[in-house]
Amino acid sequence: MGQTVENTALNIEYKPRTGSEAMCEALLDEGVEYLFGYPGGAIMPFYHALPDYPLKHILTRHEQAAAHAADGYARATGGVGVCVATSGPGATNLVTGLATAQMDSVPLVAITGQVGRPAMGKDSFQETNVMGMTLPFTKHSFLVEDPDELYPAMRRAFEIARSGRPGPVLVDVPKDVQLAATGDNGYRRLREAPPPVESPGLERAAMLLRNAKRPLILAGHGVTLGSAEKELRLLAERTGIPVVTTLLGISAFPDDHPLYLGWPGMHGQASVNRAIDRSDLLFAVGMRFDDRITGAAHKFAPRAKIIHIDVDPSELGKVIKPTVGIAADAKAAMRSILGHLDNAPDSGEGCKQWREELATSQEPERRRKESARGEYGPIQVMEAIKSVAGPDLRLVTDVGQHQMWAAQFFEFTKANSHITSGGLGTMGFALPAAMGVAFAYPEDPVWVIAGDGGIQMNIQELATIRDFGLNIKVAVLNNGYLGMVRQWQQFFHNRRYSETPITGPDYEQLSASYGLAGRTVRDGDDVEAAVRWAEEQEGCTILDFHIDPEANVYPMIPSGMSVNEMIEEDGA
Amino acid sequence: MPESATGVALNTIEVRFTGGMLALNRLLMTLQNKRMPVAGFTLGGDSDGMRATILLDCPPEPALRYTALISALEDVSEAGPAKTIEVALVETSQDWREPAERSGVEAHEDGGTVLASGEPEKVEAFLAALGGGVEDVVRLGPVARPDAGGGV
Repeated sequence: MGQTVENTALNIEYKPRTGSEAMCEALLDEGVEYLFGYPGGAIMPFYHALPDYPLKHILTRHEQAAAHAADGYARATGGVGVCVATSGPGATNLVTGLATAQMDSVPLVAITGQVGRPAMGKDSFQETNVMGMTLPFTKHSFLVEDPDELYPAMRRAFEIARSGRPGPVLVDVPKDVQLAATGDNGYRRLREAPPPVESPGLERAAMLLRNAKRPLILAGHGVTLGSAEKELRLLAERTGIPVVTTLLGISAFPDDHPLYLGWPGMHGQASVNRAIDRSDLLFAVGMRFDDRITGAAHKFAPRAKIIHIDVDPSELGKVIKPTVGIAADAKAAMRSILGHLDNAPDSGEGCKQWREELATSQEPERRRKESARGEYGPIQVMEAIKSVAGPDLRLVTDVGQHQMWAAQFFEFTKANSHITSGGLGTMGFALPAAMGVAFAYPEDPVWVIAGDGGIQMNIQELATIRDFGLNIKVAVLNNGYLGMVRQWQQFFHNRRYSETPITGPDYEQLSASYGLAGRTVRDGDDVEAAVRWAEEQEGCTILDFHIDPEANVYPMIPSGMSVNEMIEEDGA
Repeated sequence: MPESATGVALNTIEVRFTGGMLALNRLLMTLQNKRMPVAGFTLGGDSDGMRATILLDCPPEPALRYTALISALEDVSEAGPAKTIEVALVETSQDWREPAERSGVEAHEDGGTVLASGEPEKVEAFLAALGGGVEDVVRLGPVARPDAGGGV
């Protein structure tokens, strides 16, 4: 204490500091630019210190939105997102956002204020055990009771959040600790996870890839998180093996690449589900065999040997027992396998017949898509957005039918351009997450596609978007229902539409009340003209597409069933 | 390897961790959250931190996966397989010393009851060697082998 500390990286001089100042300093030292948060009693000392530092705070209108915005920022940049809330209700409001990030392995640091140490454990005003409450869905958490531990804890939180399998980390700081004087930084770097070593599994994987007749690469979010898009493409092109992705893996491989087939699962393409069913080798990288992919796990890929690569060793064998399981970072593992393949003749020709079979199997879907192209509905909306917004577009979807339509019909050619809540399936995610994306890439067009249910869950963020002049365009696919639940009720509950019809605001008037532009689009209107109009407006614009209330997402593999029980169209 | 009530071999893992109650809370939450088949849990502590010995009622492969999951927790410094012992309290009027020595179990007599302890298969062999000479037996375990620090 007592000496001046210089941050040479930013050339800023700091005086001896309080806990709050140490927190800000740690954020700067981690290279943080944006924080998404909402102040309150127990976090006031931190907010008092904040204006003295070159950190940009984005005041959201709800703490859940702050967490989703930080999540969107992290997904878009590959860095760590930061959100801030006060104790009690502020902290509880973060919970959905933390669980969303945990399920999709997104690196977040959530800072929460806590009541002062003397008040803890006494049911004090706005006291909750946020650490206990969030244990199941944080990668780690700190309750910092020693002011001298605050700076190191903050730094460690970032390191834990981004290392290995990324995830959210909570730092809960009692109010008096934020106010207390702190000592030296005393920060020691954590042990880094060792880089993946050459393992016999990698060589065996290469051998299996060489010898397979009907192989598929199944790429997940881990490819994007590990910045392994290039290695994925090299591996596919080197071997000629077709690529399919998980929902979160979409945009890890360009949709317009001749080796890209699509994505499997409950609402994935029928041809892709059948391809997995027939494949003799599944090279699964950076994915976790989610039940929305596998359906009945014991019937999944019944003819295939499985190579499973994941940075988290506990994922290997969790759902599907791999023939070869490799706990490694996706990029390093694929690089190593490419090295092994270099010593072998090109196997691309080996699965040429398989590729031709797959291309034939996709023909009916292509024809169906072609014929639907002229109809007013989701396909037209997706194609218009893609066509007008251009190749740099980043699409953020909410959860429900529209999410599946976007994944099915939108063509993602830019890496990491598809952002959605996959594992937790969090309605209300898209609008705030898009704020994070827009802050990360202010020059890129950002579109939100949401349903009329989900958009209302965090619609208050239109105020945040307006205040910061974010150029986010919003397409609401409005069918007057909680559409996916309604679809399930139609299929499995004899059309008993219990509590799924839903109303909402007039989005044109709502937009106007926020000082934004909005327009309603109905069957018969020119969809592309409407999208172009939205693009031409300055700032955020809402397009309210009134679509067929009973439009369904096809195909559909009912929960817990297999590809053989797939429903492919109305009346099937 | 000891056998569980469900007929699946029990696997024992020992977890060393620091961070006190908060870390213990996280460990317990992880066991519950991932639905680990916990058949026994012993907690001890020493100057290096806390030590939990967990009996998992599952085959070795998932036990390894669970161990990987636990070892990834930030508070956990070490997690790996551990040994278990079984304790048998035997009433017998025949000579027990020679069978105990042959089976490799630790045994002594206290108030007419023979206390035998050792690896479960050795205790099993000891009881088998006594055969019909066993008048009554109470078996405890398998439990974690006590180590420095003791259990709580």
